[in-house]
Amino acid sequence: MAQATQAGTPVIELRHVDKHYGQLHVLKDINLSVKKGEVVVIIGPSGSGKSTLCRTINRLETIDSGEILIDGQPLPKEGRKLAELRAQVGMVFQQFNLFAHKTILDNVTIGPREVLKKSKAEAEQEAMQLLKRVGVDSQASKVPAQLSGGQQQRVAIARSLAMHPKAMLFDEPTSALDPEMIGEVLAVMTELASEGMTMVIVTHEMNFAKRVADRIIFMDAGAILEENTPEEFFTNPATQRARDFLESIQAH
Amino acid sequence: MNNKNITIRDYLYEAPGPKTKRYITIGTVLSLICVAWLIYVIIRLFYENGQLDAKYWSIFTRATTWRFFGKGLLGTLEVSLAAMLVTFSLGMIMMIGRINRNKVISTIATVFIELSRGIPTLLFIYFFFLAVPQFGLKLPAFWKITLPVAISAAGVTAETLRSGVNAVPKGQREAAISLGMRDHTVFLKIIFPQAFRIVIPGLISELVIVLKDTTFAYVVSYADLMQNARVMISNYDALLSVYLVVAVIYILINYGLNKLSVYLANRRKRLQAG
Repeated sequence: MAQATQAGTPVIELRHVDKHYGQLHVLKDINLSVKKGEVVVIIGPSGSGKSTLCRTINRLETIDSGEILIDGQPLPKEGRKLAELRAQVGMVFQQFNLFAHKTILDNVTIGPREVLKKSKAEAEQEAMQLLKRVGVDSQASKVPAQLSGGQQQRVAIARSLAMHPKAMLFDEPTSALDPEMIGEVLAVMTELASEGMTMVIVTHEMNFAKRVADRIIFMDAGAILEENTPEEFFTNPATQRARDFLESIQAH
Repeated sequence: MNNKNITIRDYLYEAPGPKTKRYITIGTVLSLICVAWLIYVIIRLFYENGQLDAKYWSIFTRATTWRFFGKGLLGTLEVSLAAMLVTFSLGMIMMIGRINRNKVISTIATVFIELSRGIPTLLFIYFFFLAVPQFGLKLPAFWKITLPVAISAAGVTAETLRSGVNAVPKGQREAAISLGMRDHTVFLKIIFPQAFRIVIPGLISELVIVLKDTTFAYVVSYADLMQNARVMISNYDALLSVYLVVAVIYILINYGLNKLSVYLANRRKRLQAG
């Protein structure tokens, strides 16, 4: 469901970003720009740095050099400014990371209540709408451990949406799910994309990437090797590395 | 599967077959015979030494005796409760100090924790009993027993709490900061509530130790259960009977605390594992 991208300041921009883990060069001169409403899918083999890249955007990972801009503003390095920025960028994790001691409803309301200082009633009303939208409103009073992985991940998406983010980051959102639950999470994400949410998605789901992405980023060994439309990338990859990768995942 | 019936034995041993079952039955019968014989020997020893004479036990038929024990028990509970509160507060402060990013604060907290853990309770008591008055500080007997007992348990409590904080998965913090929460909110609302639930059994074991340590109250002549028991013994020369009854009272309290710990741990499992 690729949409025409809008002009203007990119929502997310990375300029010459480098990062090392000791001797290991995990991000090599990364340049990336994501416009409003754009869906960018990052793919690549394990250890290629795609998750790290995704996590630098809200500074869950620090960078050694280069620049990250959100809405044209440099990403703050610490304190209140950084927290305020993180509140505007949603994050969905591979392991869901729902707050284990809180009910589903409280998981969705805690952000708006603690950070946006919304009233309990207002936060709960909106949370119920969001839970309904992702199809888990009937589970609102349960705790995360009582839900299936697919349900938990949909709650995690609702938790992010409750903050009204400018953009959302998805770090392998279906990699920890049983196969029969992947579809329900991807369906929610597809809907978000079609509504114009700006998204950066790290995933191994190639069919989903084909369907939803405006642009595919192919990474290997910490560098972006290709950046192309899904049609071009999947039918006619430019590098041998990408051809090998696509072949290896289509082999089974 | 019924989780409730899985015990440590299920992890250690495979399900017993017919032969093993027979051995278990024989073992049970033999050990019961041994226990019965042991009890018989003990009672006979007491009897031969006159410890079962009515004069040692008749004191327990008088209401005054129980009132006196009751007063002592109240003293024990008061000191224990106060010491538990102080222990927990100090433990929290030391734990927060130790996990502080500031190296100086964290080092100071670590030193205090090690001192608290390393020094025997009795030494702390002597310090408050003998040294503190020399600084001109006149503490009531209540605090002379409460403070040293609390300080001596606080270090372990701090470390127990810290182990709980470390046991909370890293993703919980990442999810919280991704929502825009600041460090203190993350700690108070997300990390600590989970850490606390994890360490409740450990904390309650710590409370049992605090309660047992309050028996040092006799050193500072504070009238707790133990001190009153000693008074009874010197008045009636009823060493065995009094200590037996007092031991049973302590066992009942601590057994109650341990039951509470098991209950809370199970409730947590039920809540988090569905």
